[in-house]
Amino acid sequence: MERRGLTEAQRRQIVCFLFTLPALAVVFVFFLFPMLRSLVLSFTNWDGIGHDFQWVGLKNFATVVTDSSFRQVVVNTLYLIVIYVPVLNVIALLLAVAVYNSGRAGNIYKSMLFFPNLLSMTVIALIWKIIYNNGGILNQFLKAVGLKILARDWLGLPQTVLPAMSFTIIWFAVGYYLLIYLAGLNTVPVELYESAEVEGVTRTQKLFRITIPLIAPSVTINIVLSTIGIITLFDLPFVLTRGGPGYLSETLALHVYFYAFVQLQTTYALALAVLLGMFAILITSIQLRLLRRREEASR
Amino acid sequence: MKSARLLGHRQRARLGVNVAMIIISLLLVLPLWYVLNNAFKVEQEILRQPLVLLPSTATLANVVRAFTAMNYPLRFMNSVVILVLSCVLLVSLGTLAAFGIAMARSRFLDRVYTLLVAMITLPFQLAMVPLIFMLKGFGLMNTYWGTALVYSGWFLPFVIFIYTGFMRTIPRELEEAGRVDGCGLFRSLLSIYIPLLKSVTGTVLILRGVPIWNDLLVSLITLSRSTMSTLPLKLYSFIGTYGSAGTRWTLVFGGTVIVSAPILLVFLFLQRYFVRGAVAGAVKG
Repeated sequence: MERRGLTEAQRRQIVCFLFTLPALAVVFVFFLFPMLRSLVLSFTNWDGIGHDFQWVGLKNFATVVTDSSFRQVVVNTLYLIVIYVPVLNVIALLLAVAVYNSGRAGNIYKSMLFFPNLLSMTVIALIWKIIYNNGGILNQFLKAVGLKILARDWLGLPQTVLPAMSFTIIWFAVGYYLLIYLAGLNTVPVELYESAEVEGVTRTQKLFRITIPLIAPSVTINIVLSTIGIITLFDLPFVLTRGGPGYLSETLALHVYFYAFVQLQTTYALALAVLLGMFAILITSIQLRLLRRREEASR
Repeated sequence: MKSARLLGHRQRARLGVNVAMIIISLLLVLPLWYVLNNAFKVEQEILRQPLVLLPSTATLANVVRAFTAMNYPLRFMNSVVILVLSCVLLVSLGTLAAFGIAMARSRFLDRVYTLLVAMITLPFQLAMVPLIFMLKGFGLMNTYWGTALVYSGWFLPFVIFIYTGFMRTIPRELEEAGRVDGCGLFRSLLSIYIPLLKSVTGTVLILRGVPIWNDLLVSLITLSRSTMSTLPLKLYSFIGTYGSAGTRWTLVFGGTVIVSAPILLVFLFLQRYFVRGAVAGAVKG
């Protein structure tokens, strides 16, 4: 059994490495390598079909950034990050506190709120398309209760399309983030709340002085997860609005798809994908750094 | 006396919370009810009375029409095959790799692991275009394997992360004792580690199996041939054909319900695991 030049420990390491090899091969071939290729080819005039290309420097990036749609798409993506992420997290946290305080029935609420998460986003988007539709149930309801003034084509108007889309995404996602907050809440010692109650601390004070500092890690996880989630979200907005009307609800993630598979402008898709990737890495690492620092400060 | 009053106050607060939560939960599932009950109505009934299902006018016609129009059995089979292939790849390759990383204590594999963890958050859109070009080159477009391999490449970093985290909590002595008894690494993986991985595998299957089953994007770009399309993909193209006209919503209602039915059935039976599994992944991160 002895192999020359290899100690027992070294052989073990080689066997361990062989175990990782199939997975690493799949990840490399089907994920990492295409990413690196995107990065390289975004500086070329590759047509997406053949194997030939020439270097064109930053030309694709310049074209993408100066395109008339780019500004709108970036604004939409930022809107979702700035509005959707905080609103989602506040709602999820409040609901988690409510579920935590609701005793036995908590499990039922939890399951009900988590329920939309199981459905395909295609299904979710379809359901809400029907609801928001001009003659849809939302407008029917508004007319029935005498708020006819509010009835409108929710997904067709510039002012309402993004709020309506955000509402749908929150409706879909809130149950998942609630579960993570709830898991955090369950780690807070009950005695803390009991002694706070004896000392007459108000409910708001409890939330801000005890709960939030103690579940800071869950807050960090949820904010980072929901930010990445919204930056890369595709299925739901794609089926709900396809980015329309015009570019008014189109995000970076959708824009990459349209460049690549609808307009067949491969190099623009690559350049935009690279920008999207850099943006995702940048914003999540800033968030992580800030939130970790807060976590430590509140400890 | 004081403690009795405190309890009374707390019970009242709890009652208030429960009332609020009942209302919120019901409002939240209302859209789903809206679709479910309308799937079993005729069109005039939907417009007249969108929220109440009268058993006297209930009909299976929408569901049946959607079922045949979608060629449901074929889509269902496509979805199942892709799901099973992906999950087999994720679980088998993920377990092997995590075991290697957890056992090796080598600096190189630790670096590889860090790289894999960093990859979890990278957007799929970054790989999308060259990936499709490659799949075409390999002849993997419009094949079950091609689509399953795309899901595997995308989700393996996360799966390896979950498995490695779990394996690192298993005491090393277990494997070392096995080694004394003459167990090779592979033997100890099979007879010591795998039996311990049941619950974490459940977590992996829920956290990545459900998104694969529900996914539109990957099937949209890898399965262009209509005979290959999965349930969500077929439902999507279905809307294009019927929904935009605005008149065939009954079919869309029916289609939505039959596309969602399989996962709802699974959820009803495995509810507890779903809720637990969903948290496990995030909390580890």
